Amino acid sequence: MGLQPVSEENTPATSVTPVLRVEKVAKSYGHTRALTACDMELFSGEILAVMGENGSGKSTLVKILTGVQNLDEGTLSMDGRRLRPFSNPVDGISAGIVAVFQEVPIIENQTVLDNIWVGYDGVFRNRLRKAEKRHIADKVLKVLLGRQLDLDQHTESLSLSDQQACCIARALVKKPKILILDESTSALDIATRDRLFKTCSELTGEGTSIIFISHRMDEVMAIADRVTVLRSGRTVGHFTRGEATPEVLVSSMTGKTFAQAEESVDVRTPGLDGKVQLETQDLKLSAESKGINFHLRKGEVVALAGLEGHGQDHFLRALWALEPVAGAVVAYTKNQAQKITSPADAVRASIVYVPRDRRTEGIFPNQSIGDNFSIATMSQDVQFGVVKPSRSLTRLKAFKETLKIKMSSDRDPITTLSGGNQQKVVLARWLASEPDVVLLNDPTRGVDLGAKRDIYALMRRMTQQGVSFIVLSTEVDEILEIADRTLVFRENNVFVELDRTMTTREKLVSSFFGHEDSQ
Amino acid sequence: MTRTNKILRLWQRPYAIAAILTIALLAANLIVNPAAFSPQYMPQTIAAFAPFALAAMASTPAILGGGGGIDISVGPVMSLVNIVIVTLLLPSQLLDGPVMGVTAALVLGLGIGALNGVLVAVLRYQPIIATLCAMLILIGINIRLAPSPMQAGDNWTDAVSSSWGPVPVAAVLILAPLALWSLLGKTAWMTNLYSVGGSDTAAFTAGVNVTAVRVVAYATGGLFAGIGGIALTGILRSGDSTVGMQYTLIAITAVVLGGTSMTGGRGGMGGSLAAAAAIFLFQILLSAMRVPTPWLNLTYGAMLIGAIIVTVRTSTANKTKGKVA
Repeated sequence: MGLQPVSEENTPATSVTPVLRVEKVAKSYGHTRALTACDMELFSGEILAVMGENGSGKSTLVKILTGVQNLDEGTLSMDGRRLRPFSNPVDGISAGIVAVFQEVPIIENQTVLDNIWVGYDGVFRNRLRKAEKRHIADKVLKVLLGRQLDLDQHTESLSLSDQQACCIARALVKKPKILILDESTSALDIATRDRLFKTCSELTGEGTSIIFISHRMDEVMAIADRVTVLRSGRTVGHFTRGEATPEVLVSSMTGKTFAQAEESVDVRTPGLDGKVQLETQDLKLSAESKGINFHLRKGEVVALAGLEGHGQDHFLRALWALEPVAGAVVAYTKNQAQKITSPADAVRASIVYVPRDRRTEGIFPNQSIGDNFSIATMSQDVQFGVVKPSRSLTRLKAFKETLKIKMSSDRDPITTLSGGNQQKVVLARWLASEPDVVLLNDPTRGVDLGAKRDIYALMRRMTQQGVSFIVLSTEVDEILEIADRTLVFRENNVFVELDRTMTTREKLVSSFFGHEDSQ
Repeated sequence: MTRTNKILRLWQRPYAIAAILTIALLAANLIVNPAAFSPQYMPQTIAAFAPFALAAMASTPAILGGGGGIDISVGPVMSLVNIVIVTLLLPSQLLDGPVMGVTAALVLGLGIGALNGVLVAVLRYQPIIATLCAMLILIGINIRLAPSPMQAGDNWTDAVSSSWGPVPVAAVLILAPLALWSLLGKTAWMTNLYSVGGSDTAAFTAGVNVTAVRVVAYATGGLFAGIGGIALTGILRSGDSTVGMQYTLIAITAVVLGGTSMTGGRGGMGGSLAAAAAIFLFQILLSAMRVPTPWLNLTYGAMLIGAIIVTVRTSTANKTKGKVA
């Protein structure tokens, strides 16, 4: 075990009082212990990354720090003074702790302005004049987006990235002493993320402390001053900037040595000479776009990449006839050509689509894990008009093992699972229908390293059986790991198509920004 | 902005259908039944409309607050106020004046509304269950106080169907809640209410006191229902425990027809008022045309279904329009 023990030497040995001290905090949900013993210190003007795999307790920690959940045991103190436990977010905010969440909690029917200032005023009292609110909102958005947004526009028409920018602005206008960014970069496009990082370093210069939670190693390396690692609800290590190499962090998070963790899971198969399963004929994403003629072969993994909003999402959804486009999509899966003009056509051609937004498009939050899994394949379980749940259970068991889904009973509500495990159940639901082509829309968004590997391993197994994948991915590492081919989208066109042998990190990222050759 | 654009935007307002219906039905009424709108009868027509209008407005805040919010005790609250005025206040020598009557109406309405709010927002009962219980309790109290309709005799509530100078008194009863609502619109509460209705988790994590915002919404609705009780007394001229319930259902219909989303956060008070007017005008149009009672209910129901389908369709169409996937 190349694991760093928790030790006092790892924390800065200064007499400076931390802004925030978390001591032996524990929290259970029913029988599940989400946090067992969390210890953490945050100093003035620093960026502290909190890392850990899914289910390590990061989200619970954030909920406790913000007052969304009450803690069961342990203490929080700020500037050396012990805090009364928060009973709701109002308490957290008045103590100066404000969080931006991964889930992009936007209020769609409200304007940009109201979304930014929600929670700032009292129940009745306006704490600022409207003109002043507009002025500050404009300023903050300009910093985050590099451009103006119409403040009177309803947020439902904004892109996900801009919606998240509004949520970040919502936190910033409250002038927090401690700003928590909980996976809040995963919804941002790269340019906005970079501006956010710049803003973060300006804020720390003014004395604000930042708790930064991210699954992206590159982001943590880029901005964190220190890293605290959680594993299974316990703090297992504190690292300073110099000590925190990716190897050290991965081994601390997984409890394995780096070599073990990195055991290569290679999804790629030489499927390039396989039969064409799906093609697009002169598909145009906008009136000005060039036609896209794309072929997907049996057993192939094709990644769709690019900066957010450059057409890759539109393209993927068009393949399942979720978006109107010019041109045609044709499937050859059932040994015959079939035009895909509706999702029903796609299902008939054994093409499945796993949407991006798990919360609104993926799960049935009130239903059990078993029901969430079997909803797409229930027709297989019908005998004499009666559903036999035992059959779907058998299927679920198989996926539970291959995907390593952590759950106690299939009768528990799906919301008792962590985000990564919910995502695995949603994936399993569609993969269980034995598709020929799988369309995945950012399948590992907000999912930890271990869960990603489980998903990649399953993909590999399926490609060997001849299943093809088209994966929209926002993570360069993921593309490098899984894709046989990558289509990079730019301004609603395929900007470049990269073969696996040609794909490098530099090439991918530079093509996102429109540079074709930069080796 | 071009003129067609302006018209288009007006059409996209959630209350567009209700407003158009109101105007069309008003025109039809003026042709078929002009007498009801003559200066002589106008105050009475508005008085007959007032309980509809107030019930619809009273039902709106709880629904706007989202989370399945609804207040089905609105009708029985109006009845309670009606019965308390007729059976307890008017017979007494001391309490038979308008000051006592209006105070009692406001306090009862506000108090019961706030209680509903506490049941829903603090104790977390399902809104429909909580207000159903309130409704059943109120019906019980109403029947206990007035086992059979009790005549009121001449009293101050008769003024509801008269005028103060050129202003019909009933119009004042309708405008008072609107004025209070627009006053509340100047405070942060209104924005908070729409935020909570749009997404209570987002509002909660952003630091909005969701509980307080919702309690105030139910209390405001209750207050409006209290005023509705005065209007009801004015037209009934008796204390009657049987009439309140019918207002609840019509009121909720009016809220939906007025473009307010049952899931909260979309719509508004003006739409509910316009829709209540449309429903009322349709009813008096049908009776002026001497449509037989069975047909009256049937036609009335059919019109409502049609109008609500159109309203809901236009508001969902607007919602999805321009949405980036």
